[in-house]
Amino acid sequence: MLNFLEKNLPKIVLAPTTIVMVICMYGFIVWTGLLSLTKSRMMPQWDFVGLDQYRRLFANPRWDVAVDNLFIFLILFIVIALVLGLLLAIFLDQKIRVEGAIRTIYLYPMAISFIVTGTAWKWILNPGLGIEKLMNDWGFVGFEFRWLVEQDMAIYTIVIAAVWQSSGFVMALFLAGLRGVDENLTKAAKIDGASTIQLYWHVILPLMRPVFFSAIVILTHIAIKSFDLVQALTGGGPGYASDLPANFMYTFTFNRAQIGLGASSAMIMLFGVLAILIPYLYSELREKKS
Amino acid sequence: MSSLKLTKYNIGRTFIYSILIFFAFIYLAPLYVMFTTSLKDIEEIRSGNLMALPIDPTFYAWKKAWSSACTGSDCRGLAPYFWNSVRIVFPAVIISTIVGAFNGYSLAKWKFKGSEFLFGALLFGCFIPFQVILLPMAKLLGMLGLANTVTGLVLVHVIYGVAFTTLFFRNYYVGIPTELVRAAKLDGAGFFAIFRHIFIPLSTPIFVVTIIWQFTQIWNDFLFGVVYSGSGTQPITVALNNLVNTSVGGKEYNVDMAAAIIAALPTLAVYVIAGKYFVRGLTAGAVKG
Amino acid sequence: MGSISLNGINKSFGSTEVLKNINLDIKDGEFLILIGPSGCGKSTLMNLIAGLEDLNSGEIIIDGKNVSEESPKDRDIAMVFQSYALYPTMSVARNICFGLEMNKVPKDEQASILKRVSELLQIDHLLDRKPGQLSGGQRQRVAMGRALARSPKVFLFDEPLSNLDAKLRVEMRTEIKKLHKRIGTTIVYVTHDQIEAMTLADRIAVLKDGELQQIGTPYEIYNDPVSHFVADFMGSPGMNFIECIVKDQNLVIESGGQKYELIIPCTEALIKSNLDVVLLGIRPEMLTEIQPSAADNSFVQKIKFDVEVIEPMGADTVAIGQWNENEVMARLSPESGNSAGKGFELQVDTSKAILFDPNSGLRIR
Repeated sequence: MLNFLEKNLPKIVLAPTTIVMVICMYGFIVWTGLLSLTKSRMMPQWDFVGLDQYRRLFANPRWDVAVDNLFIFLILFIVIALVLGLLLAIFLDQKIRVEGAIRTIYLYPMAISFIVTGTAWKWILNPGLGIEKLMNDWGFVGFEFRWLVEQDMAIYTIVIAAVWQSSGFVMALFLAGLRGVDENLTKAAKIDGASTIQLYWHVILPLMRPVFFSAIVILTHIAIKSFDLVQALTGGGPGYASDLPANFMYTFTFNRAQIGLGASSAMIMLFGVLAILIPYLYSELREKKS
Repeated sequence: MSSLKLTKYNIGRTFIYSILIFFAFIYLAPLYVMFTTSLKDIEEIRSGNLMALPIDPTFYAWKKAWSSACTGSDCRGLAPYFWNSVRIVFPAVIISTIVGAFNGYSLAKWKFKGSEFLFGALLFGCFIPFQVILLPMAKLLGMLGLANTVTGLVLVHVIYGVAFTTLFFRNYYVGIPTELVRAAKLDGAGFFAIFRHIFIPLSTPIFVVTIIWQFTQIWNDFLFGVVYSGSGTQPITVALNNLVNTSVGGKEYNVDMAAAIIAALPTLAVYVIAGKYFVRGLTAGAVKG
Repeated sequence: MGSISLNGINKSFGSTEVLKNINLDIKDGEFLILIGPSGCGKSTLMNLIAGLEDLNSGEIIIDGKNVSEESPKDRDIAMVFQSYALYPTMSVARNICFGLEMNKVPKDEQASILKRVSELLQIDHLLDRKPGQLSGGQRQRVAMGRALARSPKVFLFDEPLSNLDAKLRVEMRTEIKKLHKRIGTTIVYVTHDQIEAMTLADRIAVLKDGELQQIGTPYEIYNDPVSHFVADFMGSPGMNFIECIVKDQNLVIESGGQKYELIIPCTEALIKSNLDVVLLGIRPEMLTEIQPSAADNSFVQKIKFDVEVIEPMGADTVAIGQWNENEVMARLSPESGNSAGKGFELQVDTSKAILFDPNSGLRIR
C-alpha cells in the first residue's frame, strides 16, 4: 500500500489540477459550445436549434463591425509593433552606453494594465484638451485631432495605445534573439565584406525567424483577447464603432441577456485563436523533433 | 582617411542615439502627462496643456481619488477597491505558485505514461480566449455560493493561472540534471524530500519570476473582475473604469489620472524593483513552449 | 555481504531491446567492470542494479535477497555518477551526510562518519564549500565520499573519471584501486575506457548491443578474447587483424614484397574449422625488433616489413605498415623504431596469436 502510494505520488499530485483542467477548461468549452447551439437568452435553456445562433451572429451588423475592427487592429498592431520593436532592438544592440535605462523605459508600459493605459490615452487624445490643444499651444493653429469621437477613426486610437503598451515587449524579444546570434557569424560576414545593413538583412534577420513567429503569435493572442483596452479607452464607441469581438461577446452575454448569441461569438473567437495556434505548435513540435 | 571614417561613424552614432532617446521620450510621455495632470487643479487643466508643468502643484486629486471619488453611486474613492485587489492577489498568487511548483516538478522529473500529453493539454489553457469559459464559470461560482465574492475571484485566478505557473516551473525544472534526482533516490530520499531538499533551494529565481508574473496578471485583470464581482467586491481595475466613466458632476481629469496612477503603482513598483525577473517571465511564458 | 546475481535480465525502451538475457554473478568484494561501446546497455544495466529503472523480466539478487521490486533506497547501494550529481545548494559536508540524514542516522554518528570519510579521501578542508567552488578532482572525491558514508553493500560507479583531464584520471584511478583494497566492498564500475578496465578490474564483463560477450579476468579478456569484437575493443594500440590464406596449417602473409608462412599455435582447431581463409589476430607487442633472447622459440620468425609511418610514444614507438593489404602495427623500442623504414627486420612471435572466423568473427579454437 505504502509502496503503491510512493510510486504514484506524481500522479496524485497532478490529479487535482487534471480534474480541474478537464472540468474548467475542456468541460466549459464544450458547455459553451453546446450553449451556442441553443436558443438560450437570459438563462441557459437546452432546446437545440442547430446553427441558428451563428446565423444570427453573422447577420448582426454589430458583429460585422467588431470583426472588421479586429482585422484592422490585428494587422496594424502587429505590423507596427514588429517594425518598431525590431528597429529599436537593432539600435539598442549597437553597444549603447545607457542600454539598461533605455530598455527599462521602453518596457515599463507592459507592467501597466490595459485599463490604466486606456484611461491615460483617453485623456491624452481628449478632443478638446489633449494633443489637439497642445499642438495649438505650440503654434500649430487649426490642428485637429478628434479620432476618439470619430466613427471611422476610433479603432485607430486603440492601435496607438496598444502599440505603446506592447512594442517594448517585442523589442525585448528581438533583443534577446539578437544577443543569441553567434558572434563568429557577424565576424565572418564582416570579413566577407558585408556592410552593417547587408549584415542585418542577409545574415541576422533570417536568423530571427523564430522570434518573428513567437512575437506574431503573442501579439495576435493579445489582440484577440483585447477587451479591457477598448472598454477603458472608447467604451466601444462612438456607438459601437470601435467594438472588438471580445466586447461584443461581453455586451450580448451580460448586458443584453443573449447568452446563446454570446456563446456563439465566444466559440468563433476560440476558433480564431486555434487557427493561429495549431500551425504554430505544429511547427514548434516538428522543429523540436528534427 | 581615418578621420573621415571617424566622422561618418560619429554621425551614425548620433543618429542612433537620437532615435533611441526620441522614443524614450515617447514612451515616457504618457506617464509624465498622467503625473503632471494629477497635480494640477481643474482650472489649470482647462487653461494649460498636456506638457505644461503644474504651476501650483496640489494633492487634491490624489486625496479625492483615494478616499472620496465616486465609482458609480459609491463615493468612497478607490481605497476599498485597492484593498479588494490586495485580498484577491495575495492568496491567488501564493496558491497558484505553490500548485504550479508541484505540478512542474512532477511533470519535469517524474514522467509517467501520459504526462507529456497532460502537459500539452494544460499548456493549451495558456492560450484559450477566456470568453469561452466566462458563462459556465459564472454558473459554477453561483452553485458554489461564491458569486460576487473575493473568494470566488481568487478561485478563478488560481484555476486559470495554474496553467502558466506549471509551464514556468516545468520548463525551469527540466533544466535541472536528472542525475540529482537519481542520486537522491539512492540516498533514500522520496518524492517530497527530493523536492524540499534539492529542488526548492534551487528555485529562488523561478519563484520570483512566477510570483511577479502572477502578481502582474492578477492585479491587472479586468475581465474576471468585471464579470465575477459584485458591488463592493470589485478589484481596482473595475473601480478605476467605473470612476472614469461615472458621469456624476463635471469631469475631473486630474482625479482620473491620480486614480490611474494609484491603480498602476503596485505593478510599476514591482517592475522597477525586479525588472530583470519581469522580463524573464514575459519571454519564458511566451517563447518556450 | 555484497554479492550480486543477475538472472535472465531483459530490458527494452519501447520497441528497442537494450539488454538481452543478461546472466552475471558478482562475488562479494569483487571489483567488476562493465565495459562496451556507447549504447551497449552498460549504463542501463547499472541503473537496473540501482533500481533507477524497472526490469522487463529477470531478477536481481543482492546478498541473497531478491530486490527486483525494491525501490533504490531499500537496496543498500551507493552510486557515483559521471556528472557527480552533487547537490549544488548543499555544502560538501551535507552532501556527504544527506543519505545518512534521509536514513535517520543520529547526528553524532553522522559527524563521526563524516570525519572518517573526509579524512580517508583527504577532503576534510573542503567540508564547508559548495560543489560549485570545487575543482573537478575535488568534486570526484566528494562524490565518492557521499557513496562511502553510507557503508553500503555495493558501490556502483558510472564512468566516474570521464569528466577529468588525463593526468587526474590516472591519479584517481589509482586512488579508487587503493580504496577498494582498503574497504573491500563489492564494486560495479561502468566505463568505456579499456585502460581503466584493465588496471582496475578483478573481472571484466564486455557488453555489445545489449548482450554479454565475455566475462573474465583482465588477463583472460586481453589474451583469450572470445570474439573479434572483444579482441578489437581491448588494448591500445589495438590488436592487428590480418586476413590470411591457410596453407598446410600455416598462414600465408605477404610483407615487404616477400611471402612468408607463419607457424601458429592452434593448428588442430584450424584443421577442424575447414576454413581456407582466416583472420589472424596478433597484438602489436608481439611484433618487435630482433631480440636475440627469443631465438630458440619455435613460434618466432623474422620478417621483412616496410614501415610507412612511425608514431613515437616515448617509451616505445609504433611502426605502421602492411601485411596482405591489412594495416599492421608493430611495437618497437625507440632506439630501433625511430629510424625504421623500408625493409625493416621484424621479429614476429605467434605464440599468443589467435584466429577468427572472418564471417562470424568468432574464435577458432
